[in-house]
Amino acid sequence: MWGRIAIRPHETMKSKPFLSSFLLLLIAFILSLAIGSVFISPKELWNILRGAGDETFVFIIWQIRLPRTILIALTGAALSGSGAAYQGLFRNPLADPFLIGVASGAGLGAVIAMSIKWPYSFWGLMAIPMAAFITALLTVFIVYFLARVGQTIPTTNLILAGVAFSSFATSLTSFLMLRSTSEVRRALGWLLGGASQAGWTAILAILPYLIIGLGILLISGHALNLLQFGDDQAQQLGLNVTRIKTILLIAASLATAAAVAFSGIIGFIGLIVPHLIRLWLGPDYRRLLPLSILGGASALLVSDILARIVLAPQEIPVGIITALVGAPFFLWVLRRAKNQGYW
Amino acid sequence: MENKMLRKISFLTVLLALVMTACAPQASPLAAPAATVPSAAITLIDGLGRSVVMNEPAKRVVSLAPSNTEILYAVGAVEQVIGRDEFSDYPEEAKALPSVGGSMGEYSVETIVSLNPDLVLAAEINSPELVKQLEDLGLTVYYLKNPTTLEEMYLNLEIVAQLTGEDPTKLTDSLKARVDEVDQKIAPLSARPAVFYEIDATDAAKPYTYGPGTFGDLLIARAGGFNIGNELTDPYPQISLEQIVVSNPSIILLGDSMWGMTAEAVAARPGWETIEAVKSNQIFPIDDNLISRPGPRLVDGLEQLAKLLHPGVFP
Repeated sequence: MWGRIAIRPHETMKSKPFLSSFLLLLIAFILSLAIGSVFISPKELWNILRGAGDETFVFIIWQIRLPRTILIALTGAALSGSGAAYQGLFRNPLADPFLIGVASGAGLGAVIAMSIKWPYSFWGLMAIPMAAFITALLTVFIVYFLARVGQTIPTTNLILAGVAFSSFATSLTSFLMLRSTSEVRRALGWLLGGASQAGWTAILAILPYLIIGLGILLISGHALNLLQFGDDQAQQLGLNVTRIKTILLIAASLATAAAVAFSGIIGFIGLIVPHLIRLWLGPDYRRLLPLSILGGASALLVSDILARIVLAPQEIPVGIITALVGAPFFLWVLRRAKNQGYW
Repeated sequence: MENKMLRKISFLTVLLALVMTACAPQASPLAAPAATVPSAAITLIDGLGRSVVMNEPAKRVVSLAPSNTEILYAVGAVEQVIGRDEFSDYPEEAKALPSVGGSMGEYSVETIVSLNPDLVLAAEINSPELVKQLEDLGLTVYYLKNPTTLEEMYLNLEIVAQLTGEDPTKLTDSLKARVDEVDQKIAPLSARPAVFYEIDATDAAKPYTYGPGTFGDLLIARAGGFNIGNELTDPYPQISLEQIVVSNPSIILLGDSMWGMTAEAVAARPGWETIEAVKSNQIFPIDDNLISRPGPRLVDGLEQLAKLLHPGVFP
């Protein structure tokens, strides 16, 4: 059940996983501030961080790169943290934050909102993220109630209902995109993981949801551990299984929907990061959840750095990078592990 | 206990949502305040309904669309353009300017800022979110609405000229004169050949074409032709081969010639041999940038179309 620890990285890394994760995040954070389409030397960056430096560079660092870096880190944390939770919740290694319809629901909402000409105002600009957020949560609730059998929510039902409803929402999205040709670029960019809005507004808007969502996940490690024995066993061990599943579902979906609303649909982070941490430290959710949150932030920051530089000064949607680089990396680690028992 | 927790969570969510929406509008503490200038030299309403105020004509302009770049050069603001989007490729000298990106709606905002522009000229291919972001960063942004007629295109030229302190009269006069000449030569003609304009035929059974409301449709009509895509509803519809065969165009224009499409390839397509244009080999390549970019080169496009459609009157 708990699996063997598969790979053996440096001993300090394993004995102090939190310290090394924090260090990794710190490095990714600084790199994200340092690297961009405009070259800013490390020396210049050091000056800027101390409060001096060239005026334009100061502006770029504090007003463009810092808010973007924070938004990306929060998004990565949300996707990866809820990914770990979904995998535990469904006891399915393929579960990701988008499994039960968050992504397709958000996509549908965003594309509907994009097909309407909103007035250029604060609320007009908020229409897309708000529509994405609302339809994402709506989809999760619809799926949840479709899958519900009496007082229980069988996992298989939930996944099947999620996949079926997602296909439905996705086809509607494609249809709408075909109809409003002029918005295709914008919609495509968003669906591949491009920010719909930048700056501090987005961060302030998603922060409450992330604090609630990820906060609940962080204190649910023990419950998720119990859920791994199966619903009946967990119930016998004193867990109110249906209730805790509902709470976890809401918490994870809330965090994902908020992140997706502003950052677009970024695939793979929620799948790959929790698995890497499982391979590294085993599946104890009390450690897996916080480490996935930290690791997700780092992983998405690194992906975003790549997205900024591969075609500079053009920037590509970060979702392309997460899958393009993430998938082979994950397969490499999986292959090296030569161990099917980690899950 | 967990029921209570659930209720607490939903309560907190609602509460925080309210707090969030209440404080969000003022939530950009770092954004530069919009300066209000009492006697601004230039005040214009842009395509998003924003009021754009400038003390003096722009000296450092970044263009975010190929059509904008063409307009800037055409009105004579050659010295003022200091940056362009990735796809601006005309005139040739524009390619030497630093690019600020632009694909999938993604521009390098920091490159734009580093160029220190006093005007960013956006177009309809740019999202309002991008405009907002640039505006929040303290940049002056003018969002140029796409024209739907040649007359609106002249207005855009005048707007850009005003923003950059140029005189557009000579340019617009000559453009209008050239359009007049085409109009006069076309007017007496009674023949209106049916035209199929191909934008993309990756799926040759239903290629993309120009529908109503596009310059492709408008220019074909003005050049004395009938665009068969006009009978469809979407602006950039896919037209079925059956529909093309029924409409039986006598001329096929290949807007996708820049991607390597040739008359031979069209003639070789199964099912296309019955079309009049294929039978009489009236298939011509055309530079789609002259038809699709809402700038002064639309008039070049009109002249080329008129020549292809009515070679007799246009030597």
